[in-house]
Amino acid sequence: MSETISSQPFSRRSLLKGMAAFSAAAVAANALAACAPSGAPTAAPAAEGASPLQGTVGDEMRGKSLELSLAVIAGWPPSQLPIEMFPSFAAAVKEKYGYDVTVRKTEAPFAALFQRVAPTLAAKSQEFNLIVSDSQWLGALAEPGWIIKADDVYAVNPELDLEPFSSLVVNTYQVYPDGSGQRWGFPQMPDTQGLFIRKDLVEDPAEQAAFEAKYGTKLPSTYDEFAELTIQEYEPIFEFFNRPDQEFYGTAAQYSKEYDFFSCAYHPYVYATGGDIWDPATGNVVDVLNTDANAAQLEYFRSLTKYMPPGYSDFTIGSMIDLFTQGKVFSAFNWLAVGLFMISPELEGKVMAVPHPKFIFPDGEKKVIGAMGGQPWVINAFNDDDHMRVCIDFLKWWYQDDTQAEFVSKGGLPWSKKGVEAEGFEESKPYTRAFKYMLEEGRSRDFWHLPEYAELLAVQQEAYSAFASGQVNDPKRVLDYIAGRQQQILFDKGRTQTAPPAELLELTLS
Amino acid sequence: MRSVHPAQPSADPMLLARRSPLRTFEESRFFSLTLLLPILIFFVALNVIPTLWMIGMSFYNYSLMSAAPPTFLGADNFVKIYNDSDLWSAFGRTFVFVVLAVGLETTLGVLLGFLFWGSSNMPGRRLALTLLFVPMVVTPVASGLFWRLIYEPTFGVANYLLQQISGQKIDFLTNIDWAFGAVLFVDIWMWTPFMILMTLAALGSVPKAELEAAEVDRLTAWQRLWHVIWPHGKFILMLGILLRTIDAYKTTDLVFLMTNGGPGNITELIALKLYRYAFASLNIGFSSALAVILLLIAIAFTSIYLWVLHLRRYREGV
Repeated sequence: MSETISSQPFSRRSLLKGMAAFSAAAVAANALAACAPSGAPTAAPAAEGASPLQGTVGDEMRGKSLELSLAVIAGWPPSQLPIEMFPSFAAAVKEKYGYDVTVRKTEAPFAALFQRVAPTLAAKSQEFNLIVSDSQWLGALAEPGWIIKADDVYAVNPELDLEPFSSLVVNTYQVYPDGSGQRWGFPQMPDTQGLFIRKDLVEDPAEQAAFEAKYGTKLPSTYDEFAELTIQEYEPIFEFFNRPDQEFYGTAAQYSKEYDFFSCAYHPYVYATGGDIWDPATGNVVDVLNTDANAAQLEYFRSLTKYMPPGYSDFTIGSMIDLFTQGKVFSAFNWLAVGLFMISPELEGKVMAVPHPKFIFPDGEKKVIGAMGGQPWVINAFNDDDHMRVCIDFLKWWYQDDTQAEFVSKGGLPWSKKGVEAEGFEESKPYTRAFKYMLEEGRSRDFWHLPEYAELLAVQQEAYSAFASGQVNDPKRVLDYIAGRQQQILFDKGRTQTAPPAELLELTLS
Repeated sequence: MRSVHPAQPSADPMLLARRSPLRTFEESRFFSLTLLLPILIFFVALNVIPTLWMIGMSFYNYSLMSAAPPTFLGADNFVKIYNDSDLWSAFGRTFVFVVLAVGLETTLGVLLGFLFWGSSNMPGRRLALTLLFVPMVVTPVASGLFWRLIYEPTFGVANYLLQQISGQKIDFLTNIDWAFGAVLFVDIWMWTPFMILMTLAALGSVPKAELEAAEVDRLTAWQRLWHVIWPHGKFILMLGILLRTIDAYKTTDLVFLMTNGGPGNITELIALKLYRYAFASLNIGFSSALAVILLLIAIAFTSIYLWVLHLRRYREGV
């Protein structure tokens, strides 16, 4: 008997039983895992009377070991620097407060990071303790109560409340609703628009002579000369260096449908009409965005593509870096925050960054209002006390002079008055002078901090892309299409009392 | 020596008396249910409940961008979809995409399938088949990315070759005249192997005896195809067409990676629209309503598939 049984150690039935038991165990394990709190936070008793928003104030964190989860923007170098510099923070708090902290990085591209973060916050999870948010997401994060109000943190940590270089910093990275003065974000890195130019070419005597011979005027070659040019005055220069037969082009700008690329590149042209993309006071888009003046500017903005390489309607921030560093363009419109990456070793000493070209405004003044880039930090409101303390400790370390100096030396940009006005900052990098210029009062501005940002943006990016690619060639129709749909979104959300005209909603891009 | 044979458990009364409760359970009808339980739990938790939840949500105004609780809207989301001209355009584009993609994949797949079927002695046939199936097994994300690079106007291989031949370059993915075709081409490149596979399976289902009889009877190629091969192979081929139709209708990743729906909305297929409403705008109510409509269309396709299977059973007298 035993002989027969032992000859079949694993019968089919036994195998099935085993599989069933294993499956049941797996289900139970998964169910238990799902029930466990995310990150298994352990609520530590707070120090007597100390708010976690103060950070660590005594020995309450001593001996503890935890992980700080940071959500950052992928492919965006300024967003990566806090991760790179994190070991210094870990060493500092170990020495000062006696706790161990490691960092967990989660990253996603600009368009995807909010999608990654929002569902976890909606679920009141502390999966991400500290988040590098894009400036336009402030409303979407603040309105549902997902993030800590920065004012509450400043109230107990006045040393964090540094004086900003200009009101642009506060209005872009901190305040929601616009004009309310309520601060939610902590500036991580400011950013402004500029134009990167091949300095070696404009300083080349042969090029200068050829330009003068062709246009009867001197080729600008210094920062001061370029900084005063209007976009129309740039055109002969773009045209001069546009040499398609040599696969070298006059300029490149961002016309991509992705995220806010086209919008940010085009908005300075809107502001130049003295116009706007919406009226924050009434919530109206119709008759604000879809004006003849804005349509003419849209047409003009597209006309600049004649100086650009093929494929311009797909150009992103990355395309600017690739085209410029590969020597395929004379100039490129890009964010000054990526200045370090626009200058490859081969281009060292051959690049100059200047402010965004100027416009002649309706009042006759020659000036520029660029789009603001950059990001704030925001703190997850659902952090447990320990993680909240570490977040505040991190920000206190981040805003220290030496940390900021290291950040700037690695390619970051400062936002405080002290940082921007530090001696030697303007000359420290080829792009810092232009950055400072564009961060001055009234020279740049951000758009929409509304929770409906993603919906509003998707509408206009698709329509602008249709125009950039030639799917629709009537700029007024494109703006009408956008205005109608954006007005509907804002009307549905109660941000405006005016419903969009039906005829605008009937427009399509086909 | 006596052996215990599992097939004769009742032969020995002693053994019957010693039958364990576990054995009794194994023989009861609950045993099979217990075995099914894990997968049922997963099915209900990950499929049934979310689907019911989605159907429920489609009648609500609910956005993850707001702290406000869901508010009941009735059929408003569906009315909004009905009145949205952009969504109708996307449905139209998707229809054109599905018809062209599946039509061309089927045509090419059948032709190549016959070619391989009739070349069983060809040297390197196995290697050629393996290489031909590679596009099908590559993830659409990888395919989308490297085709994007191939099409790239500045350094892409396609444009390099094109320039060598014609002296011109084409912005395949950003030109409104080429973008749709460029994406369609990649889909055809990816999924024609699947139709080859289905064709080979269909041809393999034809009884050898009937083929030999057709040869003895000196049937022409067309007669052989129509009277012998088609009656046997058509069910598998139609199954392939239906599976591809359902799959092409859901195309998202490839388009997202290659063109992001652009330029403009030239390649914005309906599944990509749904993705944007759900995961970019986080408009859960509206996207649920759209998803319900897409689900109904998918169910319609599946019903056709089930009908075809039923037809096969009917014809075969099963």
